[in-house]
Amino acid sequence: MKRLCGLFFVCALAAMLRAEPPSSFAIRDARVVTVSGSELAKATVLVKDGMIVDVGPNLAIPADAWVIDGSGLTVYPGFINALSTWGIPEVAPAAGAASRATAAPAATPQPAATPQPRVRGPEDRPQNNSYERAADLVKPTDHRLEGIRAIGFTTSATFPNRGILAGQGALIDLAGDQGADMVVAQPIGEQINLRTGGFRSGFPGSLMGVISYVRQLYLDLDQYQQAKSIYAAHVSGTPRPEYDHYLEGLAEAPRILLPADQAQQIDRMTSFAQELKRPAVLYGMHEAFLRIDALKQANLPLLVNLHWPEKAREADPTDVPSLRELEMRANAPAVPALLTKAGVHFAFYSEGADSAADIRKQLKRAIDGGLPRADAIRALTLSAAEVYGLSDRVGSIDKGKIANLVVTKGEPFEEKTTVEYVFVDGKLFKPSKVPPASPAGERGRN
Amino acid sequence: MRSQALLLLVAVSAIAADHESLLIQNVTIHPVTSAEIKGGSVLIVDGKIAAIGTKLSARGAKVFDGKGLDLYPGLINAGSNVGLSEISSIRDTVDIDEIGVFNPQLKAEVAFNPSSEHVQIVRAAGITTVLSLPSSRGEEFSPASAVDAPILPGQGALMHLNGWTWEEMALKRGAALDMLFPIIPSVPRREQTIGGPPQRTYSELEREYKVKLEQIANFFEDARRYAHAKAAGEPDFQPDPKLEAMIPVIEGRRPILVRAGKERAIRDAIEFAEKEKVRIIIADPHDIGSTAELLAKHGIPVVLGETLTLPLKEDDAYDSQYALPGQLFKAGVKFCFGTFDVEFARNLPFQAAAASAFGLPPQDALKAVTINAAEIFGVADQIGSIEKGKLADLILTDGDPLEATTSIKAEFIVGKPVNLESRHTRLYEKWNARP
Amino acid sequence: MRTLLAFIALTCAAHAESILIRNATLLTVTKGTIQNGSVLIQDGKIAAVGTNLSAPAGATIIDASGKFLSPGLIDCHSHTAVEGSVNEGSLSDSSMVNIADVLDPSDINIYRALAGGLTVSNVLHGSANAIGGQTIVIKLRWGKPAKGLIFEGAKPGIKFALGENPKRQGYPSELFSSPAAQQRRYPGTRLGVEDEIREDFTQAKIYQTRWKLYNEDRAKGVHPIPPRRDLRLEPLVEVLEGKRYVHAHSYRADEILALIRTADDMGFKIRTFQHVLEGYKVAKEIAAHGAGASTFSDWYGYKYEVIDATPYNAAIMTRKGVVVSLNSDSDELQRHLNWDAAKMVRYGGLTPDQALAMVTINPAKQLGIEDKVGSIEIGKSADLVLYDKHPLSNYSKVLKVWIDGHPYFDLDQDLKDRITLADRKKDLIAKEKAEEDTAKKKADTERRAVDKKEGKLPQEGAL
Repeated sequence: MKRLCGLFFVCALAAMLRAEPPSSFAIRDARVVTVSGSELAKATVLVKDGMIVDVGPNLAIPADAWVIDGSGLTVYPGFINALSTWGIPEVAPAAGAASRATAAPAATPQPAATPQPRVRGPEDRPQNNSYERAADLVKPTDHRLEGIRAIGFTTSATFPNRGILAGQGALIDLAGDQGADMVVAQPIGEQINLRTGGFRSGFPGSLMGVISYVRQLYLDLDQYQQAKSIYAAHVSGTPRPEYDHYLEGLAEAPRILLPADQAQQIDRMTSFAQELKRPAVLYGMHEAFLRIDALKQANLPLLVNLHWPEKAREADPTDVPSLRELEMRANAPAVPALLTKAGVHFAFYSEGADSAADIRKQLKRAIDGGLPRADAIRALTLSAAEVYGLSDRVGSIDKGKIANLVVTKGEPFEEKTTVEYVFVDGKLFKPSKVPPASPAGERGRN
Repeated sequence: MRSQALLLLVAVSAIAADHESLLIQNVTIHPVTSAEIKGGSVLIVDGKIAAIGTKLSARGAKVFDGKGLDLYPGLINAGSNVGLSEISSIRDTVDIDEIGVFNPQLKAEVAFNPSSEHVQIVRAAGITTVLSLPSSRGEEFSPASAVDAPILPGQGALMHLNGWTWEEMALKRGAALDMLFPIIPSVPRREQTIGGPPQRTYSELEREYKVKLEQIANFFEDARRYAHAKAAGEPDFQPDPKLEAMIPVIEGRRPILVRAGKERAIRDAIEFAEKEKVRIIIADPHDIGSTAELLAKHGIPVVLGETLTLPLKEDDAYDSQYALPGQLFKAGVKFCFGTFDVEFARNLPFQAAAASAFGLPPQDALKAVTINAAEIFGVADQIGSIEKGKLADLILTDGDPLEATTSIKAEFIVGKPVNLESRHTRLYEKWNARP
Repeated sequence: MRTLLAFIALTCAAHAESILIRNATLLTVTKGTIQNGSVLIQDGKIAAVGTNLSAPAGATIIDASGKFLSPGLIDCHSHTAVEGSVNEGSLSDSSMVNIADVLDPSDINIYRALAGGLTVSNVLHGSANAIGGQTIVIKLRWGKPAKGLIFEGAKPGIKFALGENPKRQGYPSELFSSPAAQQRRYPGTRLGVEDEIREDFTQAKIYQTRWKLYNEDRAKGVHPIPPRRDLRLEPLVEVLEGKRYVHAHSYRADEILALIRTADDMGFKIRTFQHVLEGYKVAKEIAAHGAGASTFSDWYGYKYEVIDATPYNAAIMTRKGVVVSLNSDSDELQRHLNWDAAKMVRYGGLTPDQALAMVTINPAKQLGIEDKVGSIEIGKSADLVLYDKHPLSNYSKVLKVWIDGHPYFDLDQDLKDRITLADRKKDLIAKEKAEEDTAKKKADTERRAVDKKEGKLPQEGAL
């Protein structure tokens, strides 16, 4: 113990002096949950230059490595939030604001105060940010990052989440000297929102309007690509197709993310995904307990929202919620367990639940709902990487992968558990302490 | 019954020639307050029912042969905007919902338009009297719950649907003081759209509600002081029309028609009435919760709104609104029906019938649209049943007036035969003849 | 949730059995009234109708003595079971949107309507624009997912709207004032509405030609760039090709006639005029065009363009040869269309059969499904309603409703379900409360521990 403290003293001092941070680590004698393979009871993880160099029992430790005594500790792959705005400072709620009460959903575009030109239809591409890349927007200055890392998150599938065609996501690491350092892969998909401004807000002003708009865009994309290839093959005499910024954005995305929370929305988006004929991921899933079989049959990757529906913090005591809502509140946290049992592939995301206390509480509810702990960890790591086809670089502790690691004392997300170290891209972070619960969390006490 | 009729026969012969009299004969009389009389006759003298029986004859009286049809008392719509609102979506034609929170001095009858198309249309459905109210449905059903939303929008008047001027039509002015009891609007559970006004919290809304209740209490306190000062003949007494209009209310002579849609409003209204020692009638309730017994216990009558309306909550039984009148009936609450609108005011009888399909005995459905309304508004000595001495508000039908398949064949208001034509029938006749 | 209960009930019910409903007064609508009649249901269809039917082996027998059986009621104008706004009101022509995309099978109003004997609804887009969205006919198969609601083989439609509603956004009233609403859009008059529809169909024809030429070029082996598929114009092309019905919201005689002439000129048909409160003034022209009229029973007076509304409208149109139905346009009114039909006996003296036809076979005809539903006839779907009294009586009550021979509403079952629902809610609320209390207790203990540690708690007995 003493040696460890000494080490850390040096380490911290080195950082303070802005000397080269250490680039080689060995976590020794720790329990290692690789996720991809079997759990190692006592093993060493070797990290060098941002990568996992090796993992296994009885590894030789290179001379230049900083050694961490992992006895009594467990090493996990860094946790991945499978859909968030983490890392985009512009959409982060103001520091100190109650994260869930006011922030969700983040990045909601506000109606413009001054009249905008009237939208004439899908061809005007309203609420369309298909080309906007999270990769260009992420910055290490997002004040949420420190707290998130402190509970073991190293990675996020981050999306700009503005408008209906809500932009291109990037898989990012949650630390870096500048934005570009954070990007692991991009683009990873186009997020689609089915939000509208309501009646009289301009096209699309209804859910059906949004759906028809998205449908038209993808038909336009097909025609655009067809036109471009015909043009390429027969340049002479063929009219040149007009460049479409918005369609280029859609064309880039390897997959689309469609929102589906309630049962009828799950049905609707399952068929919509089939109709659009491109790889799709459904996100939401709070009423998926009514559609487990259908989801298994549909075989689409799913993102389960950890922000479980719950009683409104301040409700009229005479308003009795509907049975449907009560069922949702009672059964949503059991969705991960039901999906696991049915063998349906899913990962977690934390819509607006940014504080450690929140995420811990929500995950615990999933586990209480019957989700085996190992499956919870998988949904937070490898499964999330698989949804985006990036399990070759993140999501498990394997040789050659990015060194995103979390070292805990105790089972993750248990109250008494402490996160001892977090490695992002091979860089060590020592959470000073878990940041205080958000005001929203505090209010529950009174 | 029969012996009574025979007695009346004697009375009849004494009609003086200078009295206007009409004998309706050969009808089945449904007096509402007593058993039906087959082959009956009703004698009307000077607009009043002078005799009822089976073998009436009257020299000098005009005779109207009812040809075996049914005779009922005219129906009463105990909550409407008839006469005050013509085309509800065109504000220029609408005279309800005055600006201001407390306007107890406003009187519905003074703006009652005798030429309104609705007068003819509504009476053609067998409705001879309406309570015209100076405001639309309560806050419960309006989108805004503004701070300056009306609370006391004015006095309702019972109006006969026949006459040359509103003065002739007014049966009872100031029949009730209309009151839109404040509510705590429900906070929508899910944000459906982008933007919109920020959601207010329940505690904010509850605070506003309490402020409004306090405002009401203060207004009543002012009224009481005013009445006291006036009675005492205080030298610096200054008349105030608003407070003046409150005197009959605080003295219990004029009831307050409290629009209270939900349980909280009903409970709080009852508490308010107890505290202020005023008479109230609950109007247009739709979610009474467990207040039926409470209403019965306090003897508070109710004017029910539309029976044919949707349940308020997703989990409510599909027939929760249909069954509401039956529920009140079983609890022993006295009630009548209104429609609280104009365009559907004529469908009042069908509201009562639907209630009957779902638990209200048919005879009590009929009472609810006749005698109960009269009793609740203190005019049972004049209308609401076919009884000697009452005004001759009568309808002649080919069946149960609560059935839509029944036709209203003739109608009398204060003894005068009423023309059953309306804009609707005139258009029918005109265009049916288009070649 | 009621959907869940319904779902369980459905899956438990034996599949497609035989049912014999006996001794009822059968209101067949098309073949008169049969006293002490029986209906045999087999494989979801009406297999036999008569007075002396015997039950096949294993059939469920329902004794309906003293009761009345009618075909399932049909509403030619509904907005039930739609998620989100029923209006894509932002454009003058929003024909790219489709109600079928947003069906919500969990809308409780489906069940409530079933409980009033409704079995089929024409679910329409709203009336905010000259050409609204695509529409769909559904059966009220409560408990089935959205796909299970769709009426197989019923032609889809498109909503048009004339008059005040579509022109309102040309001159938005202060009622809806917002920066966005201040953006006026064409049309703002009935003249413009007429023009808008002509313009849209002109574009549709150009679009139709463009694709024709493209396909011809391709056949010739040329490599043209395909035209852009336009989801706005495609449904209009379908209208021109007779593959999609037009349901036109309308009130005044002038606009009705103008649309008939536009349709004549452009070469398409109006299937139904909806509301059509002045239809009686141009009944002759409506009949000649072959359009149906789907009207209200007795709505009037709620806006200026209905100034000449009269409840005798349906009677006049019927006498002048128009197929007339009564619609609800309302989650509430759809629960008792039979009572609206009853008013037709009062207003215009139609017979009870004529009145009942207006909520059964006539709307079926208007929707082109009269070979499948709308009357009690052999071979039609067993969509049936059992009442305790004649359905035109305002005292009548629905006891049972079958769709395709399956019971979808049963009053006795409903009464049981209420108890189940209440119990389940009580349990869930109690469970939630218990969890809350535990969490609170735990938080309190923790806080006390912290406070004690930090010396904030007064000493025992110091109070």
